[in-house]
Amino acid sequence: MIVPYALEISVVCVGIFLLMVDAFLKTDKTTIAWTGVVVLLAIFGLTFALGPMPKGVIPEAFYVLDPTALFFKRFLLLATVLTLILSIDYSPVYQKFVPAAVPQAGLGEFFTLPVFACAGMMFMVSANDFIMIFVALELVTITFYVLVASMRKNQGSLEAGVKYLILGALSTGFLVYGITWLYGITGYTSLDGIQSVLPRVPEQYQPSVLFGLGLVLVALGFKVAAVPFQFWVPDVYQGAPTPVTAYLSVASKAAGFVVLLRVLEPFVTTPTFQVKVFGILTILAAVTLILGNLAAMSQQNLKRLLAYSSIAHAGYLLVAVASLSAPGAKVAIGFYLGGYLLMTFLAFLVLLNVAKVSGGDDIRDFNGLGKRSPVLALALLISMLSLAGLPFTIGFLGKFFIFEAALASGQYVLVVLGAITVACGFYYYLKVVMAMYWQPPAPSATNIQVSPFGQFLIALLVLAIIIFGIFPQPILGALTHL
Amino acid sequence: MNLLLASILIPVLAAILVIAGFNARRTAIFAAVLNFLLTLVIVSQFKLDGGYQFLLSVPAVPALGIKFSLGVDGLGVAMLFLSTAVTLAAIAIARPPKANVSWFYASLLFISAGAVGAFVSVDAFFYYMFHELALVPTFLLIGIWGSGDRQTAAWKITVYLAFGSFVLLVGLIGLYLSLPVGSRTWDFRELAQAARIGTLAPAPWVYITLFLGFGILVSLFPFHTWAPQAYASAPAPAAMLHAGVLKKFGLYGLLRLVTPIFPPAITEPFNNLLLVLLLGNILYVGLVTISQRKLDLMLGYSSVMHMGYIFLGILSWTTIGLAGAALMLVAHGLSIAALFALSGELRERTGTLKFSELGGLARTMPKFGLLFGFAAMASVGLPGFANFAGELMVFFGGFSAGKPVVGLNNFQIATAIAVWGVVISAVYMLRAYRRVFFGPPLERWKDLPEISTHAKVCVVGLLILLLIFGFAPQLLVKFVLPAIVQP
Amino acid sequence: MLIDFLPILLHVVVAVGFATVVLVLNIALGRAGKRTKIKDTAYECGVIPEPGPQPRFSVKFYLVAMLFILFDIEVVFMYPWAVVYRDYIAQHGMLIFWSMLSFVIILLFGYAYAVKKGALEWGR
Repeated sequence: MIVPYALEISVVCVGIFLLMVDAFLKTDKTTIAWTGVVVLLAIFGLTFALGPMPKGVIPEAFYVLDPTALFFKRFLLLATVLTLILSIDYSPVYQKFVPAAVPQAGLGEFFTLPVFACAGMMFMVSANDFIMIFVALELVTITFYVLVASMRKNQGSLEAGVKYLILGALSTGFLVYGITWLYGITGYTSLDGIQSVLPRVPEQYQPSVLFGLGLVLVALGFKVAAVPFQFWVPDVYQGAPTPVTAYLSVASKAAGFVVLLRVLEPFVTTPTFQVKVFGILTILAAVTLILGNLAAMSQQNLKRLLAYSSIAHAGYLLVAVASLSAPGAKVAIGFYLGGYLLMTFLAFLVLLNVAKVSGGDDIRDFNGLGKRSPVLALALLISMLSLAGLPFTIGFLGKFFIFEAALASGQYVLVVLGAITVACGFYYYLKVVMAMYWQPPAPSATNIQVSPFGQFLIALLVLAIIIFGIFPQPILGALTHL
Repeated sequence: MNLLLASILIPVLAAILVIAGFNARRTAIFAAVLNFLLTLVIVSQFKLDGGYQFLLSVPAVPALGIKFSLGVDGLGVAMLFLSTAVTLAAIAIARPPKANVSWFYASLLFISAGAVGAFVSVDAFFYYMFHELALVPTFLLIGIWGSGDRQTAAWKITVYLAFGSFVLLVGLIGLYLSLPVGSRTWDFRELAQAARIGTLAPAPWVYITLFLGFGILVSLFPFHTWAPQAYASAPAPAAMLHAGVLKKFGLYGLLRLVTPIFPPAITEPFNNLLLVLLLGNILYVGLVTISQRKLDLMLGYSSVMHMGYIFLGILSWTTIGLAGAALMLVAHGLSIAALFALSGELRERTGTLKFSELGGLARTMPKFGLLFGFAAMASVGLPGFANFAGELMVFFGGFSAGKPVVGLNNFQIATAIAVWGVVISAVYMLRAYRRVFFGPPLERWKDLPEISTHAKVCVVGLLILLLIFGFAPQLLVKFVLPAIVQP
Repeated sequence: MLIDFLPILLHVVVAVGFATVVLVLNIALGRAGKRTKIKDTAYECGVIPEPGPQPRFSVKFYLVAMLFILFDIEVVFMYPWAVVYRDYIAQHGMLIFWSMLSFVIILLFGYAYAVKKGALEWGR
């Protein structure tokens, strides 16, 4: 019998192998990335040989492999593959900002570190114990500190790195402090243990439990970019290398949400804590929805706009988290994140290709894209419409499932807020569409060529967004089968 | 292949071909003609007493009971006919813009596909999805090829309608959740059936959310402000499609999802409020229409105003009122399309639609003036046009609605006031007509070309349909009636 | 129950209070006289202070220090491991051995990487 975490072990081995190739062989660095892509895709295929396992089959109590975990492992592997492909595209830009002691300096690490982050996040989505959560989370965040700051000659990247490091360290502190409180009251670090003790917590210690949970929520709120822990998001997203931004906004957020769900599970199923926890979550969701959407409306830079939109999407996901009492909420979160992966990577793929030629990622750099590159414009159009939540795209179904869950659990206030913010969303996503199709291109703007592989990838993502937007059953099935 | 699926796919495929580089105008017209012929085939094969026909059903999200199912009953056929007829007229009369021709036609085709898809869906979820499909093409059409303050208008209509749509979506989900677990469905037929046997018991908030959502989409007073400006700025074919066809989506939804489902116990408490709102449409917007100084804005407001009658018919909850509302859906769609087509043609010639700069055009363009006169009279509701039949039935319905009381009940009072709307619309239409076509001929308009043949064919086609349904409303009513009267 | 936390509150009050008092005293007493530039310089027996207050370190120092810490930490793991090693093997088998071996191997790869990338070449 294979050990259940064979997937993570193999990903770590891939990472080490790539690192050694980078250090000892004088190959072209992009082969490292391509090797990573191929091997990770192979591991992605392997996941289908591995079914979800019920609790108790796995001897290690800190590790679970339920359908959610398995789904998100696939999700993370795909996200990493896409990140590596984006990184290959991005490498010419990247090299401009790295001291060129030797040719292709720094590229090896740039291609290898996402693999390690992937391993960390794959552990995160299976973690069932606070110690495991903490270790996995640190593996991920430390990797990201390096990735974000890795363009050493670019001030934005350095600034982003420092901000991310300091706020990340702060949130880690909150996490550990919260864990100690919970451990102190319940005597367990494992979530199963906490679940078993929670109903018996005497009334006088209940505020302490909530305090501990609150601290953990602060840390996780930082990870998923929930307001009021979102300060780092715009600067870090804007400053980081574009593939890293995409990776951060998709994979890191998804892993954070899975951990959030696992941590909340004992609390929302215990009647004594349910009401208060849902109250906190409702407030978080409401402010995240409002601030994310309103702040996005005034952005002039596409990367920053996507950063705020990432906050806004965290808001919609939090609506589903606050509606966990509805049966469909968990599936809705998984589906929404799946859709978010597709449309965000598509947007960043276009952004990267345009920025490479235009030299900037302001919205006005996209003026007249409809003429300069119809393919890219169409792709960005689909991606923006999906992010806005227009029917026949996966983004709409995601929002639909979330609203369905919210109404089923009686979160009427959040639904009203959601309807208003969706309208706001149309405004700022269509602003990009407006630039592409209404505005004339700048006189100096040149046409943009996309490589055949890039076109293939774009077509793949667009088709996935539309097909899953009409027939979502494959994703829903993967989320629920056991 | 299922004919209804084909009628959705034809415009979509044509749009893709157009974007891919086929001759835009020819492909679009070909697709529109094909779709219209297909509709005629559907109408000829339709059995009057057969309920929903041409069925097709593919499960999409089994967990939530969502199916991609198509089918039409009499009301659906009528709306399908309206959609394809107006689409044909709009695409045929459209003048290819100077730039981005392919996107122009593709957008029109997408709006058409969305409208057709919405009217032939039996599943409330896909019915909703298809309507939204038209949102972005409208945004692009107004924003890129519009006139006047086109950007403001484009933003306003898009954001407003996006909001309205999500309100509607919340209402639809509420309706879905009102069903007991296990029998939840989005199917129109099953929803109506569940309401009949009493398993569907929606809460009042569902009713008011649905009415609000549909109301925003149909420009119910006071949520009408997006409409006039958008129609005034939109290029003529876009205004024809949106005002003529797409806006009917909400009223169609009321006939499908509200009247068969909600019992009087829920609807009655809101009747007075809704009566006041629809009188706002008829009187307030009517008076606003009179004060307009531009033809396109005036037409936009008039289309908002006429929604009030249809609302009255639906709200009356009587067979004759509902049938009148359905008749007016078609009649108003055809007449407003003809008016927007002509005002678009006029703008092409003169470059302005301000009353103060126009006048005496009947001298230079007698045929144009004649056609415009016919269309305007149809819109006012002159006997002989379908609008008259529809309005008459709506008024009968309104007057027989409500509980009998001593003296007049609220419905009868409201109907009595609403009849004055006919006078109001006669005033603004005739004033506009006088300003534009009569009066001393201006020197600068001396050499305006007469209406072109293809435009003439389009408008005459629409007017002939209006006359047919006006003299023989039974043709339409016999289709619509079985769909409205619940067995 | 809250009374149990009184010592903590006292601790906080004392900590904050002490810091505040010292800072206030510093302001109150330290700025008593006239301040000049010469007065503010560090006192070095009359010699002008040299060099500036923040000496520059070579960045290589940080690199080596970091590597030192990294490879130092492993020993922290190994001490408790060594202490329970014999008992654990008797009870649960060789798992504990393989775990540490895999850890050390990973560390070895890290070391190889650092050496090959020239992190330890001071002169470069």
